[in-house]
Amino acid sequence: MHWAELLAELTLMPLVAFIVGLFMVLMMRKIGARLQRRIGPPLLQPLYDIVKLFGKHTQTSHGLLHEFGIVMAVGGYVAAETLLPVPGMNGIAEKGGMITLLYLTMIPSLGLALGVGQCANPNGSIGISRALTAMLAYDIPFVIVIAGVAMHFGTTNLVDVVAQQQAGGIETWGATQMPLLALAGLFALQGMLGKQPFEIYVAPAEIATGPMVEMGGKFLGGLFVMQCFQLYTASVLYVTLFLGGGENWVSFLAKSFAVLVLPISVAFLFPRYRTEDVLTMLWKWPVILGLLGLVFVGS
Amino acid sequence: MQQFPVKVEQPSANKPTGGNIFSRVFDELTTFCRSRSLFILHYCTGCGAIELPPAMTSRFDMERLGISPMVSPRQADILLITGYVSVKTLKRVILTYEQMGSPKYVIGICSCTVNGGMYWQSYATAKKLNDYMPVDLYIAGCMPRPEAVIAGLRQLMDKIAAGEANGWQDYYRRYDYYLGHQQRLFGETWQTPTDVIAESKHYDLFGGDTLGAHTALLQQHQKPLEALEMRLGLTDRQEKGS
Repeated sequence: MHWAELLAELTLMPLVAFIVGLFMVLMMRKIGARLQRRIGPPLLQPLYDIVKLFGKHTQTSHGLLHEFGIVMAVGGYVAAETLLPVPGMNGIAEKGGMITLLYLTMIPSLGLALGVGQCANPNGSIGISRALTAMLAYDIPFVIVIAGVAMHFGTTNLVDVVAQQQAGGIETWGATQMPLLALAGLFALQGMLGKQPFEIYVAPAEIATGPMVEMGGKFLGGLFVMQCFQLYTASVLYVTLFLGGGENWVSFLAKSFAVLVLPISVAFLFPRYRTEDVLTMLWKWPVILGLLGLVFVGS
Repeated sequence: MQQFPVKVEQPSANKPTGGNIFSRVFDELTTFCRSRSLFILHYCTGCGAIELPPAMTSRFDMERLGISPMVSPRQADILLITGYVSVKTLKRVILTYEQMGSPKYVIGICSCTVNGGMYWQSYATAKKLNDYMPVDLYIAGCMPRPEAVIAGLRQLMDKIAAGEANGWQDYYRRYDYYLGHQQRLFGETWQTPTDVIAESKHYDLFGGDTLGAHTALLQQHQKPLEALEMRLGLTDRQEKGS
């Protein structure tokens, strides 16, 4: 591949992800509003929020690591986008693969932990310790799912995974071939999105939004940008592993948005578990489902 | 009747007039987004708080105007004081206000924030919120209905879009006035963790009324802030108690 083409793809992929992510945030807020019988925010509300936060006069920084943590949180996802194949653009997906992606999706939480640590706010510290525990909880089923998918397709290359699924239509999709793993993946997706019932680390009324408590201005703006990437990464990863990726942009976007509807609806209908219950829940049911799925894949 | 000094803002002095067209377009965009995205920190001290849940939830739905509740002063744009502020809570309100990021707006809801309302004769409440911090908008009533709250918020949005909601600048320009009222209530040794005078210089809002007799008193009593001691484990008192 020509280097200019690669450069264009590496620039375009995160940019597209951000724009799609903005609409995913909008969809999330709209679904929440509709479930509560409200009208919900206008079309460009996520963008207004981000521009306003970056345009604040006061930017309270608590030190170098505070700023660096936010850069890591956004940067981890920006790097992850270049590894996720989208229709027409593969970026460096062929060289990266699932294992690299798995590592990159952990970087934002660790970056956030660094940044929040520098703020020295007790609510933030409690929040981030819960967030890392939740990460530990959903990573076990997530790793099992990734391993199962890699075993089934015989490769960790996401481009190959997509090509194999698209070769035979719906019968060769990951979700049809490995329904148990797809179900376990949904649990991990809910954890990755950090939504209820696995949302105890934010808990606005208890610990004042936990990790976000000291974030104002551009720092909160950075986290809003991160949320766009987070929704995009989680849904596109699920589409790539289980729903055959995207043949073209229409089906790709339709699948990505549809995947998010279930976790978001669950999030707005259910309260949150305590941290130990999150661990028990995520280490029990999705792990059992995932291991059963592994047995079927192996046999 | 006592006359309270009212300072009229000159809008031309506040609007940043950038030389090139891009910076002006960007300023316009930021101002528009500021008016369309407001995060509220509600300090619910009194009965007015009960009118906010209907204003936020399905019947009146603030979120369609881009207004959503936030829980930390760092994240918020609007400080919403709903009802009377006693002398003790006023201290917390001022600490909260000074921690918020500029541009910030204060809304006083209910008669109690306007003139003390039904607590006018109380020894323990602060009567006029405007004496202690610049209030951008009052929503009068006892209590104002959610329609009135939404109407007030829309008015604030219009003011922000027009670049007229500059109460936060007034706090820096006339810090001595506000500090004087705070000292009258809390005593001479009152100080907050925020260095407002340094901030006013930072924002280029340092004026003739920033310093005065009251800030001189503050500087006389001011103790430098010390970081909290970081310690793991129980303190002596907790150990004795257990």
